[in-house]
Amino acid sequence: MTSISAPPQRFSLKPYLEFARVAFEREATYRFEVFTSIGSLLVRVYLFRMVWTALYAQNVAPKDLSLQDAITYSTVALLMSLVLDIDQTRLIHDKLHDGSIATDFMKPINVPLYFFSDGTGEVLFHSVLILPSLALAALIVHIDIPPPDVLGAFFLSFLFGYLVGLLMNFILNCIAFWTLEIHAVQLIVTWITDLLGGQIIPLIFFPLAFQGFIFALPFAAIYSTPLLIYVGSVTPERYPEVLGLQVMWIAIFAVISVFIWRAGARRVVVQGG
Amino acid sequence: MAERLAIWGDVYRQYWRINVLTALEYRANFLVWFGFTFIYHATALIALWIILQEFPSMNGWNFPQMAFLYSLWMLAHSINNTLFLTVGDVPEHVREGEFDRVFVRPLNALFQIITTPQQIFPDELILALSLFVLATIWSGVTVDWWFVVFIPLIVMGGALIDFAINLVIATCSFWFVRVDALRWIAFQLEQEFTRYPISIYTKGVRLVLTFLLPFAFMNYFPATFFLDKAEDALHLSPFVGLATPLVGLVCFVLAYWFWIIGLNKYQGVGH
Repeated sequence: MTSISAPPQRFSLKPYLEFARVAFEREATYRFEVFTSIGSLLVRVYLFRMVWTALYAQNVAPKDLSLQDAITYSTVALLMSLVLDIDQTRLIHDKLHDGSIATDFMKPINVPLYFFSDGTGEVLFHSVLILPSLALAALIVHIDIPPPDVLGAFFLSFLFGYLVGLLMNFILNCIAFWTLEIHAVQLIVTWITDLLGGQIIPLIFFPLAFQGFIFALPFAAIYSTPLLIYVGSVTPERYPEVLGLQVMWIAIFAVISVFIWRAGARRVVVQGG
Repeated sequence: MAERLAIWGDVYRQYWRINVLTALEYRANFLVWFGFTFIYHATALIALWIILQEFPSMNGWNFPQMAFLYSLWMLAHSINNTLFLTVGDVPEHVREGEFDRVFVRPLNALFQIITTPQQIFPDELILALSLFVLATIWSGVTVDWWFVVFIPLIVMGGALIDFAINLVIATCSFWFVRVDALRWIAFQLEQEFTRYPISIYTKGVRLVLTFLLPFAFMNYFPATFFLDKAEDALHLSPFVGLATPLVGLVCFVLAYWFWIIGLNKYQGVGH
């Protein structure tokens, strides 16, 4: 380690819980943004209901997804996006920009863990928003609730999907150690994730020729896997396979994250912050 | 009057000279933006294409026709973004207290706003034109003199509709400090609701998109006319599609009137 590292100290979780609490409260102050994000979510729920209704009314319904399933799929996808669209580790990028990351390295804290606790507080606040959004969305559309075991698998898969997204964003934010500006790249990744992750259209509607390829990409592990479990398109006997694939992506991205963080942090220290 | 117009014309020419020089200076940025805009519209179009593979008819519209619908909106929208984008900066100027400078200069306030130099790249316009040409060929629209005369007018009218709505939102910032959320919702409505023929929507939404936020005139009504489709959203004559330039002008006049009210209010309280 370098000379600026803090004196050894017994690890305590307390400061990290505090970081998360502060982030939670910070997010709660943007009240108008909260209303906007819920409002725009509801508008989109209504839009998707109209689009799917029109499509199913005039075409032969696909055999594996009923109209009700499609509406449920889109609504749950939008609710999930309240949490998944958060860039939990944006703070890394911001702090690289204004240079304050240098002082963070001098603090007696584990820096990546600090970023993760901050992001967790932010995400917890947004996951609280899911409840009122769900209640309001239920006024617009009928949402099917699957049996408890399927629901359990869905939540587990949602958690895995969240971790895949979190690590992907972490890696992107770490790229800022080298390039400083990553906003454009991040937006592009978001659009691609929305499309190839199955947030807009269920991946089972993609042309068969591409499906194998698209399901093998990490984007599918974020939205598609939990959603297809939810609507029952992925049946319980396939759970080990799809959940295993998610875990594999988490492992791969975790390894990349560790390496990219070490390389990035070394860069800051070598350049003298 | 002629003298006045000459001054405006001169200012406007200078403004574009600066823009072009800036764009030439930042050629790398231009390429980045080009890729960025391309991916944005490509993902939207791919999504439509995939949906129409599985469900071949969107209320009687096939993919080439949907692409024509999309390209008409994109063309009008990108012209608005090229000519009038800076009106979106008004809320920030007001918040930062920089807006007052338009009052001390001897030119129309709105004209000053839309001639604020910035980085404008024609990336979206180029993409919109290419898509429009492709979609026109692909959807089999007959290119006759109706088309040649009316398409430019319709696209300008559509740009004016877009501009008018942005101007109204910007004007709201004279009363409310933060209008970002409002802007965002209007933008989202525009982007997502112009993607599909409005005939798939419920009655209330069709009426809103025709009369309140007339985005349907940017693409849906003109597209039904040029694609020889029956207008089955509000059962109007397809010729309504040719009314876009007029609707654009009316929208602009109303928005401008609101803007003047806002300006007077802003000056009135002595900021």
